[in-house]
Amino acid sequence: MATHGDSVDLVDGTVVRQFARAAVLAALLGALGPISIPLPFSLAPVTLQVLFVFLAGLVLGPVWGTASMLLYLAAGAVGAPVFAGWEAGLGPLFGQTGGFLWSYPIAAALIGAIVHRGTDLRDPAAVPLPVVVLALAAATVLIYAMGTAYAAWLLELEAWEAIVGFALPFVPGELLKMAAAIAIVNGGRLEPIQA
Amino acid sequence: MLTYAPDDTLAHRLDPRSKLAVQIGFAATALAHTGPRALVALTAVAGAILVAARVSPLEALYAYRYALVFLAIAPVLAALTLGSPWIDLEDGIVSARASYRVLLILFVSAAYVRSTPVRASRAAIQRTIPGKPGQLLGIGVALVFRFLPVLRADLRTIRDAMAARLGDERGAVDRAGTIGVLGLTRAFERADRLALAMQARCFAWNPTLPALAFSRVDYPVLALAAFLALSALL
Repeated sequence: MATHGDSVDLVDGTVVRQFARAAVLAALLGALGPISIPLPFSLAPVTLQVLFVFLAGLVLGPVWGTASMLLYLAAGAVGAPVFAGWEAGLGPLFGQTGGFLWSYPIAAALIGAIVHRGTDLRDPAAVPLPVVVLALAAATVLIYAMGTAYAAWLLELEAWEAIVGFALPFVPGELLKMAAAIAIVNGGRLEPIQA
Repeated sequence: MLTYAPDDTLAHRLDPRSKLAVQIGFAATALAHTGPRALVALTAVAGAILVAARVSPLEALYAYRYALVFLAIAPVLAALTLGSPWIDLEDGIVSARASYRVLLILFVSAAYVRSTPVRASRAAIQRTIPGKPGQLLGIGVALVFRFLPVLRADLRTIRDAMAARLGDERGAVDRAGTIGVLGLTRAFERADRLALAMQARCFAWNPTLPALAFSRVDYPVLALAAFLALSALL
């Protein structure tokens, strides 16, 4: 059996803490897959996954929020049942939900970049509310633009057909999740993260 | 729910890296072709892959039943037109062929999920992606697998507690906010304990990995992966 002579290269404490949070948040996103809150005026069930994509950007910032979303995608790709409806495998990343899934890391990075304005984390409650709203709205538009455009290309749909099938049914749910994220940030119910 | 199951099939004996390569090659060529002849060929390949991992097509269909809903809606949406003649079959058939190839991609990934344990996938990630990003990705993937059931139980506890306090009669925003805050707080408490435990166990950039080696059966499979990827250009 081969032996290694090199010494152990320990991971820095701040990296370990942020990395552990990113990994656990990725698992939380996966655990949420089946939880849905029915809305009275929409046929589509609302899953809370996008709320946690918002929170990843808001709480972990642009670097570790993005890392967390990438871990979520990678774990799903190699077989963790983390995608909506307990699906797993590389297939969903190429399938009709692929555009939505690939947009999660970019959305988290976008929110983190707008809210924290750099890699030093700030308390989201101290950020002016319009900035938070702008970040969440931009991320939502990004998620649905990527998701709908990819589905339209993949399934050979026209733009309005893809919007009717993949975006419009979810609009009420998205408004709900943005409201929830804003309430969480505004109410100061989140402990600011210290690296 | 489709997960890894120990077995002795051809797919189980393959190196995870060759299986990942086949999936990527298959997806590339399936995304490039929707002609009827290509779909027949892709169906044959996907069928052979399912047999190699001993996954029945019905099982795979059931695992991806939520995706099927959207794949079935797409051709209907494509066929519907505003104004006479209201239904455009031509458009619907084009979209149906496109959504059928997505189903085949899902089938091929079902074979991987059934035949590959987490530690093999993790080793494949860490050996394919060099340096620290590969390390973190590999360990992170393993942690997601480990924490998934724990956090599911946490969420169940939160929802039970909310229901016991008539929380489920509150507004939707309030409920989503409560699940968000409590879910995140609990998860981060776990993360802090995890970080402490990892440091206590010398969490390092250079741990020892399980050995991975290509065997004789891997080479034809890698050749198949390359052929599939190249056929995307045809």
